[in-house]
Amino acid sequence: MPELNEIIHQPVRLRIMAALVTLESGSEVDFTYLRELLDVTDGNLGAHLRKLEEAGYIATNKMFVDRKPRTFVSVTPAGRKIFGEHVAALEAILKSK
Amino acid sequence: MNISPHEAEEALAAIQQVSKKTRQSIASSGADSSLIVTGLVWLIGFVCTQFLSGTLLIYLWVGLSLVGLGVATTLGMRRGKRMRSPTAGATAKRIALVWVLLWVYCVSAIAIAWPMDGNQITLLIVLFVILGWMAMSLLLFLAPVWPGLILIAAMLLGYFFVPEWFNLWMGLLGGGGLIALGWYIRSRW
Repeated sequence: MPELNEIIHQPVRLRIMAALVTLESGSEVDFTYLRELLDVTDGNLGAHLRKLEEAGYIATNKMFVDRKPRTFVSVTPAGRKIFGEHVAALEAILKSK
Repeated sequence: MNISPHEAEEALAAIQQVSKKTRQSIASSGADSSLIVTGLVWLIGFVCTQFLSGTLLIYLWVGLSLVGLGVATTLGMRRGKRMRSPTAGATAKRIALVWVLLWVYCVSAIAIAWPMDGNQITLLIVLFVILGWMAMSLLLFLAPVWPGLILIAAMLLGYFFVPEWFNLWMGLLGGGGLIALGWYIRSRW
């Protein structure tokens, strides 16, 4: 039986993962794109991204684009798998109602 | 970790909502700004065509087209830098190739049907442009094609029923329609 994941279940992190998992495998998005998409503040997003990165569910890639520092974020294969299990667990709870 | 079915339902709804928003933002990536720019070019160009004549119009259209192309390309490149995908390069090449082929086909159709009047040339070019947009929407972004169909219907109505005001019709309805569609896509995500 799939299990819920406490790290992912937090509302902002759940939405971050949902957005990243929707992207094509291997894709990464700019930090500002994610911030605008999820309508969160810089600090809030940064804190939750760190938590997800520490868990190994996402990867960040810092680089210079047009001489400006940019951070790109992507979901890792482990993150994709864990998120799938989390969704399956949510669906199982709903079905057992 | 235990949660109630109600909480599970809320979490799943949040996931669905973000997934939908993400898909929409990918589908509309750059489309909104390029639609607004094309709409502005059409609005200014066709309204001027209705009331002006001579070589001034040629310069106006060349100038507007170049400025429009430059602005749309710059905005598209800026937006493209926000998402990096392993297939983005190949997709961009496919899009460019479709447009090149469509333009070749459009010029060929005009050459075959020549001589044509101004309204006929305008309508043919615009129909090819909208056809291209709808093909992109269907094949690449899986976006709805109804706005394109409405625009084509409006163009045909203007061509057949108000030919003497066709350019003004094109500017206000065609150009205005593209601007409105661009704003709609932008506001939706």
